[in-house]
Amino acid sequence: MSVSGFPILLTAIPLLFAALCPIWGMWKREACFPWSLAGVSATAIITWALVPKISATGAIGYEVGGWAPPWGIHIRIDFMGLLMAVIISSAGLLILFYSWRYIIHEIEETKIPYYYTLFLLLFAAMLGFSITGDLFNLFVFMEIFSITSYALVAISGERKALRAAFKYLLMGAVSSITVLFSIALLYSVIGSLNMLDISKRLGQTPYGVVVNTAFALFIGAFAVKAAVFPVHMWLPDAHSIAPSPISAILSALVIKMGVLGIFRVVFTIYGPAFSSNSILWKNLCGVLSWAAAFSVVIGSAMAIIQRELKVMIAYSSVAHVGYILLGICMLSPRAMTGGLFNIIAHAMGKACFFLVAGSLIYKHNMKRIRELRGIGRTMPVTAGAFAIASLSIVGLPPTAGFMAKWYLLWGCFQKGRYVFAAMVLIGSLLSAIYCFRVVYYMFFTGPRLRTQKIDEVPPTMYLPAALLSLGTLVLGIYSSLVISAITRFVGGLPVK
Amino acid sequence: MNFPRIFHNLNYAVSVLLFLMGLYTVAIKPNLIKKLMGLNIMETAVFLFIVSTGMVKGGHAPIVEKGVKASEMVNPIPQALILTGIVVAVSTTAVALALCIKIHEKFGTLDASKITGREEI
Amino acid sequence: MKWKKLIVICSLAVLGGLLLFTVGEMPLFGSKDSPDKTHVIPRYLEKGEEEAGAKNIITGVILNYRGYDTEGEVSVIFSALCAVIALLGRERRRLSRSGVDAAGRPTSVIVNTVVKFLVPIILFFAVYVMLHGEDSPGGGFQGGAIVGASIIIFTLAFGLPRSTDRIPVGFRIPLESIAVLAFLSMGFLGMLFGVNFLTFILPGLSSRMAHTVRFFMLSFIEVGIGVAGGIIFTSIVFSMIREDEYELPPNLSQP
Repeated sequence: MSVSGFPILLTAIPLLFAALCPIWGMWKREACFPWSLAGVSATAIITWALVPKISATGAIGYEVGGWAPPWGIHIRIDFMGLLMAVIISSAGLLILFYSWRYIIHEIEETKIPYYYTLFLLLFAAMLGFSITGDLFNLFVFMEIFSITSYALVAISGERKALRAAFKYLLMGAVSSITVLFSIALLYSVIGSLNMLDISKRLGQTPYGVVVNTAFALFIGAFAVKAAVFPVHMWLPDAHSIAPSPISAILSALVIKMGVLGIFRVVFTIYGPAFSSNSILWKNLCGVLSWAAAFSVVIGSAMAIIQRELKVMIAYSSVAHVGYILLGICMLSPRAMTGGLFNIIAHAMGKACFFLVAGSLIYKHNMKRIRELRGIGRTMPVTAGAFAIASLSIVGLPPTAGFMAKWYLLWGCFQKGRYVFAAMVLIGSLLSAIYCFRVVYYMFFTGPRLRTQKIDEVPPTMYLPAALLSLGTLVLGIYSSLVISAITRFVGGLPVK
Repeated sequence: MNFPRIFHNLNYAVSVLLFLMGLYTVAIKPNLIKKLMGLNIMETAVFLFIVSTGMVKGGHAPIVEKGVKASEMVNPIPQALILTGIVVAVSTTAVALALCIKIHEKFGTLDASKITGREEI
Repeated sequence: MKWKKLIVICSLAVLGGLLLFTVGEMPLFGSKDSPDKTHVIPRYLEKGEEEAGAKNIITGVILNYRGYDTEGEVSVIFSALCAVIALLGRERRRLSRSGVDAAGRPTSVIVNTVVKFLVPIILFFAVYVMLHGEDSPGGGFQGGAIVGASIIIFTLAFGLPRSTDRIPVGFRIPLESIAVLAFLSMGFLGMLFGVNFLTFILPGLSSRMAHTVRFFMLSFIEVGIGVAGGIIFTSIVFSMIREDEYELPPNLSQP
């Protein structure tokens, strides 16, 4: 079967299911979950079907409406887009499965059809954002996933949730407007919206100042979406107060969209023309890597002093975005490999963390770390999943997180950036403290009673968490396959 | 700074000023509705900027008619882009207003400084 | 607070200086030969009518050349609607009274009469704007905004219950998704014929037939956008109306 039409289906199918979801919910509310599960599974199958083709050819394109690239919108799935799409659809499927039982417990019944609709829209928008090859299309999909995530953060209607969502909305909207402004600046001097076309024409443009300003604005705006250190304030509130499956999606996938935006701007659009001769390009990458290194240390340090589990996990996300961006912006191939690999490792580990935190809230309404005494004995699968995932988040062998940090440190030493290496090591040490503190409370404290019975959450809730944590193990053991593919991709980028 | 050129590009300069005004309002004003107004000013500034880039001196609207040459029309792309931009702005504003209504219901105020003060759940 | 203000003003001054400097380096305002008017645009302007099927080039760009963006755009308003409903719920009709405005004053007879007279005309105008997007300023979104405005005027004059009786929730829910569905169905129709998504010239038809089919496909999308846009704006406003929260002054408790 030909896969030529598949790229468009990645967004068209979830959008179709999303548009029909409220109608379905009008008839029967319980029907919404199987309906959205069908949509997400179909999309996941299509994504995986694209893997062999793209790993063979490098990238595939699709001309929407049959218009050739600079005139029409061109969807282009390169390795980076494929990587993101595979993570999004696989993690999205597991998280959707988890949210079936959880969300009945958390939000009002009348809102459930709209929860699934927003979920599908968020899913479609993230996929569209990853695979598009057109700058304005990027903006449109960015707006869809931003609007849906503001709403999903606030969907419970609690006071804290509303406050967090409004903060998130203000910062997100300002960054979206800034992206639009930079698109306008770039368009007014380049005259094209297609990313590859822009990158071709950037080398010959006489309007160097405008192009550079647009570059700086792009980086600033996407840094807000990615929650890098000085502009990370919205993340801990929003991610800790959202319903747990949504926290998982936001932390594992949505902040990666900001990282992907930075990647697209730095490498896909500006890289070919600017990497060899622009001072600004190198300096901004330097500034970004310092910001990333500071997010590593500060995120980890803030995570230690938190008392609530979900807030701690949210701060840990700030640190991990730091690792990823540090890898991408240090301009060393090894570090880049580590950074990109950490996108997968962190998505799995962090999604698992939030799902476990959600299970604890669902079962015992436990939010504070101190309350977790003895959970390891009553909820062994959930707590075990947390323990394995925390190995990956800390970066111990044989998990995926270890490989990511190994390559990152390798890159730091190769480039002679010992300060960054030290900061990464400090961050890992701190993360060991905050992760293993929770594991300690779960397994080694509390009453040791013979009468304690196993009292687990429903299997639809512990299985996704267990699968994600096993995924970090499997990916760590069989990492060579993925890492060789990433190394091949990084070889084609302007990093030396 | 190339001042004569800035004066010639007055539309762009004004939209930059509007953009800054909006950003100032978003950052400083404590009232949430005022913050939203600032957001909308920023959006409008960007729309003004985009539509100005498409302008051609003495140009016609890009509608095919007798007696209008294709080379005399203004650039249609910015207009198509801001149509999308306006819809996006309206959508963001709608969500933000819904949040404001909910916040007013729960907190009894729209003052950002008072909202952050109340920590209890 | 003072420090915050100072920091914000300083950083805005830096940003403003940078942006103004950029403005000074941009192509001259209104010039004909800046890159954005010479690279991609000439094809739109010269061949747009014939290739995209609309005399109004902007409509051609919106629906045809960059139709995928517009599909995203209708998804944006659809997601805004879902967001508002997920936050506020559908309209509440518990205590709503007809014939009084939000502050509890009875609406005037003049307003009611004028609105009753105007709403059909406005709706008629909306349909005109929707259908004439191809050869004049207008189009689906503009028409949809007018539809929404007319329903909102009606609601303001006659109260929420009268409006929701005319367009009940069960009727609105399917119409809200119709814009996304119109785009997707036309896209999949093209894919069934073996061409790319959102291609409007279907193969296997005579040239004239294909152009007629394209006209109907584009009109279908325009009307879909218009109807869904109007209904979505209406639904958002309905769920935001909170008239029952305002206490009536005692002398006005019954109109």
